[in-house]
Amino acid sequence: MMTRLKALWRKETLALLRDRHGLAALFVMPVIFILVMTMALHDAFMPGAAIDVGYAIVDLDNSPHSQSLIRRLNKAGSFRHIASVDNPDTARQAIRDGRYALVLVLPKGFGERLLAPAGADGQPTEPLGLLVDPTLNPVLQLAFRTQTSAALGTLRADELTRQAGKLFGLPSAANAPDRDWPDEIVTVAVQNEHSIRPPSSVQQNVPAWLVFAMFFVVIPISAILIVERQQGTLSRLAAMGLPFRLVLLGKLLPFFIVNQIQAALMVGVGLYVVPLFGGEALVMPQGIGLLNWWLVSMAVSLAAVACALLVASLARTTQQATIIGGVGNILMGAIGGIMVPKFMMPAAMQTLAEFSPMAWGLQGFHTVMLRHGGFAAILPPVLQLLAFAVAALAAATWLNHRQSA
Amino acid sequence: MLRIEGVSFSYRDADTPALDGVTLDIPAGGVFGLLGPNGAGKTTLISILAGLQTATSGSITFNGRPLTEARAAEPRAIALVPQDYAFYPMLTVAENLDFFSGALGLAQRERQAQIAAAIAFARLEQVTGKPAEQLSGGLRRRLNLAIGLLGRPQVLLLDEPTVGVDPQSRRFLLDAIAGLPASGTTVIYTSHYMEEVEAICQRVAIIDQGKVLTEGALDALLRCEESIVELELGAELPAELAARHAAIAEGNLKYRLQLATPTALSGLLDALADAGCSVQQLKVGRENLEHLFMRLTKRSLRD
Repeated sequence: MMTRLKALWRKETLALLRDRHGLAALFVMPVIFILVMTMALHDAFMPGAAIDVGYAIVDLDNSPHSQSLIRRLNKAGSFRHIASVDNPDTARQAIRDGRYALVLVLPKGFGERLLAPAGADGQPTEPLGLLVDPTLNPVLQLAFRTQTSAALGTLRADELTRQAGKLFGLPSAANAPDRDWPDEIVTVAVQNEHSIRPPSSVQQNVPAWLVFAMFFVVIPISAILIVERQQGTLSRLAAMGLPFRLVLLGKLLPFFIVNQIQAALMVGVGLYVVPLFGGEALVMPQGIGLLNWWLVSMAVSLAAVACALLVASLARTTQQATIIGGVGNILMGAIGGIMVPKFMMPAAMQTLAEFSPMAWGLQGFHTVMLRHGGFAAILPPVLQLLAFAVAALAAATWLNHRQSA
Repeated sequence: MLRIEGVSFSYRDADTPALDGVTLDIPAGGVFGLLGPNGAGKTTLISILAGLQTATSGSITFNGRPLTEARAAEPRAIALVPQDYAFYPMLTVAENLDFFSGALGLAQRERQAQIAAAIAFARLEQVTGKPAEQLSGGLRRRLNLAIGLLGRPQVLLLDEPTVGVDPQSRRFLLDAIAGLPASGTTVIYTSHYMEEVEAICQRVAIIDQGKVLTEGALDALLRCEESIVELELGAELPAELAARHAAIAEGNLKYRLQLATPTALSGLLDALADAGCSVQQLKVGRENLEHLFMRLTKRSLRD
């Protein structure tokens, strides 16, 4: 039996090495995905990170209070203060030209009427103006408004305190510095250990696209199996007394190894290539954690190869297999939290995600990498993946027997 | 060697059986031709012999043992060469031969010897390093045949082995196949090319609609007692002679005539000479396989 298995493994390896499209789908595509998505989502997974949107200020008041507000906004740091402009018309033109996305206009008399609500003393209070580029994400517009309101609130509180002190005859220093309020919020990611470092985009993207890439073995596996069936090679092998389960076993090991090479490559990209592009390096678990990570990787691989064999047994032509396999993978990835993280989905979609084997794989990797979970914690997704693999292999074997009957 | 007795087989959801009580006796040695129109049941019978299907009823014995038992004991005894190019187009000729010999479970030393023998038999020496997908149709057929011989089978099942090849390659393949019985391999050969079967088969069976219409030694089957003459002439057969001998025109100045008595042949040849019709070819007392086939299977078109 080993002679036959070795021949099958060698044949699969040679066939795969000569399938350039299959190799590109397995190795090049996920590397590109990891690099692009890690860079694109670099800040999305980093709370408090600077947003790459700048604002300009038109200070028509030019008072100590307006200067204080500008300083407080600069200190917040989420948005970049890129310029100060003399008048609103110049600012409008600059927005039209695409140079600024946000311009805050501090009206004349801003400082004077800082503590006078509109109409309270019979005089109108001119509001602060926010000029925005209409293409700017509304969430960012809202974030800037909120940040400005917060800075305004602290400025008013300081001014109120100062004036109250004056009213009660308390001494106060002239030109007192802006006070720092303890209003900064520190994000803490809850893990089993005591690390407080939140996961970076590379921690999210490497396992996600690795799972996705592993399931793409469907392309080379179905390409070979369908050629074997169409050209009568499977019949010839059966006539040679080679059982179909041995043919499946002959495909399982080479593609299992391919999946493990993919895993090593993706981890390598996360560790060494992503930092070259300015991203954070991937942090891999150590010791027993690394073993658990590999267990998840093995379970994902078995599920992926079994799924590919099922697709190849269902499809009649290579085109059908590419469509069923390719589109099926994209759908599994979409509902399984590969493209859009599961926590960002509405509740109904999160329930749907529970049915995607890719989601089980991703859950296993996240349990090890982000929550630092142990063997007991990864067991549920690993068992789900293994059960799926067994069911898919049984279905593939049954389909092939049925077709040959 | 192979005794097929009352074998029937029906495909799932099919209204009529693919094989209906087929009985054949295939002796060891020689090339046995299995003929029949499309859908006659040839491929089904080949599939059953190759172990790909199981007969619904009837029995098959191989060297006196039930086929399943014999195949389990000697998995390499019966080999199949399918009509399709059943090998891996992305692998080279040598890699294909290496893979299939491995799939047969041959040990390393035997493997090397069998691969060398198969390459020599099919004259593939010049293309061993070439990917199979780059081979011509003739070379692909030769590789297909060579793979079938790797296990030194006692019976080789050949399904349309010369489809799509040039005349030179066909000649080579036919000569090679005809030589196989001498090295101990019995050949069961299916083909639509009657002249091929006539050239290399010692025994034939004609089957149609799952039933055996005739079976026996080719010479005996083609011998005709009715004094039928087949002629190929240099000019058209005169109408008077055609009427007298119930002639059937078969195109290209070929005719089939009926003689009243065997001795009437000399009179016919004299009459043709008098009419200025030269005789290019003459066959007497032996029917053409195609005629026999068409007569038995009728001339209606098949799928």
